[in-house]
Amino acid sequence: MSAAQEHREPGAKEAPIVPPPPGSIADKFKKVLPDVEFVANQGVLDVIITVPRQDIPRVMRTAKDDPRLAFDYLRCLCGVDQMEQGLEVVYHLYSFKHAHNVTIKTLLPSDDPQVATVTTVWNGALWHERETHEMFGIVFEGHPDLRPLLLEEDLGYYPLLKSHPLAEIEESQEEFLREDGKQ
Amino acid sequence: MAIEERELETIDINVNVGPQHPATHGVFRMILRVDGELVVDLEPVIGYLHRGAEKLSENCDYRQAIAFQDRTEYLAQFNAELCYVIAVEKLMGLEVPERAEYIRVILTELNRIASHLMFMGAFSADLGVFGTLFMYAFRERERMLDLFEEISGDRMMYSYFRVGGLAWDVPEDFVERTRWMVKEARKGIADIDGLLTENEVFLARTRGIGIMTAEQAIDWGFSGPMLRASGVRHDLRRAEPYSIYDRLEFDIPIGHRGDVYDRYMVRLEEMRQSARIVEQCLDQMPKDGPIVAPDLKRVLRPPAGEVYMRAENPRGEYGIYLVSKGADKPYRLKIRSPSFCHLAALRDMTIGHYLADAVLILGSVDIVLCEVDR
Repeated sequence: MSAAQEHREPGAKEAPIVPPPPGSIADKFKKVLPDVEFVANQGVLDVIITVPRQDIPRVMRTAKDDPRLAFDYLRCLCGVDQMEQGLEVVYHLYSFKHAHNVTIKTLLPSDDPQVATVTTVWNGALWHERETHEMFGIVFEGHPDLRPLLLEEDLGYYPLLKSHPLAEIEESQEEFLREDGKQ
Repeated sequence: MAIEERELETIDINVNVGPQHPATHGVFRMILRVDGELVVDLEPVIGYLHRGAEKLSENCDYRQAIAFQDRTEYLAQFNAELCYVIAVEKLMGLEVPERAEYIRVILTELNRIASHLMFMGAFSADLGVFGTLFMYAFRERERMLDLFEEISGDRMMYSYFRVGGLAWDVPEDFVERTRWMVKEARKGIADIDGLLTENEVFLARTRGIGIMTAEQAIDWGFSGPMLRASGVRHDLRRAEPYSIYDRLEFDIPIGHRGDVYDRYMVRLEEMRQSARIVEQCLDQMPKDGPIVAPDLKRVLRPPAGEVYMRAENPRGEYGIYLVSKGADKPYRLKIRSPSFCHLAALRDMTIGHYLADAVLILGSVDIVLCEVDR
């Protein structure tokens, strides 16, 4: 059974959304950006805030500039293929001034995976967005240079999507070897 | 115009510091545009070592994925393994027995010393000191590799940590041998210190190049010794402690200028602090006890959820973003590697310097290509 098939099995679960305790970073976000609709979830280590994608440029710029939040450090930026729900972009932020951190997520539809770039906010996003683009096909509008970073230029597919099979390639290799052995 | 007054017409040359090069620490390509000897533009090209570790990890279970961490960060393997197993343990809410925690931290810090020794050797090779310092550094590193081989069975790809503890217990003479080894390592660190720190040639070559201010470093996503050399006193073992680091005493060395010399000094001092940590752990470690959490199933199925676990690797902040949907295989395993983030800033660090300095600046970043490319 390929990995993609297994995750569609009835055993595949989603974690329940647990609202974070009062006084967490989610409350600070609500105070600074009262008109942005977001869903806050207390994850294992950080608070996870899911933001609609059109609010991403505003939320990220405010997260860095507002002195109450002061997220000057972009730890990591990656994509997750959530299959039917779409493609997710996950940003992990840290603040040296206040020593707090947050995870911000946004969901993109699979047929229109575009989101604004955050390279204007943090320089460190340059290579992260390039890699996420070549692995998932997510287009970061405004990125100065979305050439492939790790993969070859005309690969023709986005490898980290769940629709791109891994196990099936292994199976076809086995058949090839078996046929070779027979002859 | 007299012949002496006519200027020579010059053009910029593209120098391809190609994938195969002794100074690039692996398969890494830099396309430099130089005006004489001055670097005018730089483009790093990576991806020669990309093996799809993240996609492969989605296809194997949580125990098999430990092996990929070794191969991703092949100089600080225990650090990478520790980050990954702690990520899974946090997802599952597991508690690791005391003895296993102490042994893990001892091995992790010894690996940090070994990794920094490798940096000392490779960096001095970049400088032109081809054999001398390399051999001094490797004398100590070989002792540690021998110990690791005796414990785990492998010189480089250990796969010794397990979710919930360790694979098996350490040999009986582990404590005395490690104590002796740390004493010898301190002597080795003093040797390297004496050879390089106040060396005129070393100072002349490394002072004042590759400078990154604290704001620039934070903006580019620097971490570890690169960030501390720029003056930010931030160490994940102190800021967001994991495992048993909150019980241990150690200092955090920082630099003031953010140049290549400060990065070397920070790493040198970090080795001494790691030796201090190992000695404390050897004193505090329980003499016996279980080494793996009880009642663990053969095939782990962490509950659905996600975690971003970060650890202080010798190169910086190593992050594992793990998404689980309740299956026996990870749904998404993203590896945030420090060298990847540091290399993105290589262009800004190198422009305006000479060609010889470009090699030193790359050496001071202390990259491991496998974790850049994964």
